[in-house]
Amino acid sequence: MDNHDRLLSAFLAGDLSLEAARRWDEHLLECERCWRAVREDWAGKQAAQLMRQPVPSGLADRVAFAVEVASAERSVEAPQAIPLASPRHGRHATRRSWRLAAAGLTVASVAAGLIVALVPGGHETTGLPAAVAAVARYAQAIPAPARGSHWNPRVPAAPIEVGRPARVVVGGQRIVLRTWRLGGAEAVVAVSGRPFSRPARARGVSGMGMAWTARVGRLDMYCLNGRTSELVAASVPAAELAALAARLPTG
Amino acid sequence: MDATIPCLDAVWQVARLAAGEGQEPEDLVQETYLRAYAAFGSYRGGDMRAWLATICLNVARSQARRRRRRLWEVPGGSLLDALPGSSAERADGAADVADVVIAGLDADEVARCLSLLPEPQRMCIVMMDVAGYTAREAAEVLGCPRGTVLARVHRGRRKLAQLLAEAGVSHGQP
Repeated sequence: MDNHDRLLSAFLAGDLSLEAARRWDEHLLECERCWRAVREDWAGKQAAQLMRQPVPSGLADRVAFAVEVASAERSVEAPQAIPLASPRHGRHATRRSWRLAAAGLTVASVAAGLIVALVPGGHETTGLPAAVAAVARYAQAIPAPARGSHWNPRVPAAPIEVGRPARVVVGGQRIVLRTWRLGGAEAVVAVSGRPFSRPARARGVSGMGMAWTARVGRLDMYCLNGRTSELVAASVPAAELAALAARLPTG
Repeated sequence: MDATIPCLDAVWQVARLAAGEGQEPEDLVQETYLRAYAAFGSYRGGDMRAWLATICLNVARSQARRRRRRLWEVPGGSLLDALPGSSAERADGAADVADVVIAGLDADEVARCLSLLPEPQRMCIVMMDVAGYTAREAAEVLGCPRGTVLARVHRGRRKLAQLLAEAGVSHGQP
C-alpha cells in the first residue's frame, strides 16, 4: 500500500483532518482512479450490509437456558471450584451478573412465547443426570394445569405445538426441546441422539427395554432410550405418560 | 455484564459468517456464550463485544480444525483470478462497477462473492460491515493494527464490488 492508498483509506475511515479531507474532496473531482476506488468501496460496503440477518427469535432463550444449565452443572459438579466470592476478581458478582444477563435475555424474549426456567434452586432436580435435570427445569416452567383441567386420553384432537423448539447442549449431549398441548395436558418432549441417563430413583418400565419413569417435583418423566432417545415431562400420572408420549411427535 | 445482551446481535452476525460446513451458527453462538461464561473469571474488562467475537472465532476455528478442514476455504478457483485486470485498467468504456453492483444486489450472490475473498479481507468486512464492529474493535479481535483492518476492509470491499459487477454482467444485468 503506497502513501496515496494510505491517504485514501484514512479518508474513507474519516481519519483525515478537516483541511486534509477538503483537499481530498477536491482531488476526487480530478482523479478518476480515486473516484472509482471510493465508489467501489461504497458499493462493496452496501453489498456486504445485505448479509445482515436478524437474530432468530428463539436464540436468546436458548443461550440463556444453556448458560443456566452450565451454571447449575458447575454448582453441582464442583461447588468448591466456584468460590462465592473472590477478592481479586469479584467472581461472585460476575457470576451473578451472568445470571442477570441470562435472565435479561429471557425477559427480553418472553414475548416470543418461550418459557424458560432461569433461577437455579427451588427445583427438585438435584442428583439427576445433567441432561434429565435440564429437561426437568425447562418443563417446570410450564404452568400447572388449571383447576379441573387434566389429561384426558380419550380426546381425539391432534397435538398443538406451543412456542418454538429450543436446542441445548448439556454435557456434550444435544437436545431439542419442544412443548406440546394435547387433551388438556402440556408436555415437553426432549429428543436426543444419545440416551438419557437413568436417574437413581427412576423405575424401569416393564417390557419396554431401556424405558424408565421418574417423578421430579410435580412432573412425571417418561424416557424411551433407543437410536433416538425421547424424554417426555408433564404433569400427567406416570401410568399414562407412555400413552401421551405415543401421541406426540418426536421429529 | 448486562452489556452481553446487546452483544447477541453482533455475535450472531459473526457466527453466521464464521460457521463452516457442518456448523450451525446457533450452536456457535451458544458455545460462545458458554465459553464466555466459563472464562468470565479471567475477563479483565475492555470491549465486551470484541471479547465475545474473539471467542466466537476461536470456537469456529477449533471446531473446523477438528473437522480437518480449513475455515474460510474457497471452493474451486477464485473468480478473482478470472477478472480482467484492475478497475483502473478497465476504465475506458467499461460500466461503472459501483453502478452495476447497486443495480443488481442479490443476497445469495453477495454471499457467494464474499466467500471468494481472501480470509483476512473477508473477516474485516464481516466484522465491520456485517456485524457493525468499529475498526478498532475489529483490530482487537483479529490481532492486527487498526490501519491494517482499514486497508483490508477497503481492498475487500472493492474486490467484492468487482466480483459482484462481474457476476451481474455475466447474468445480463446492466
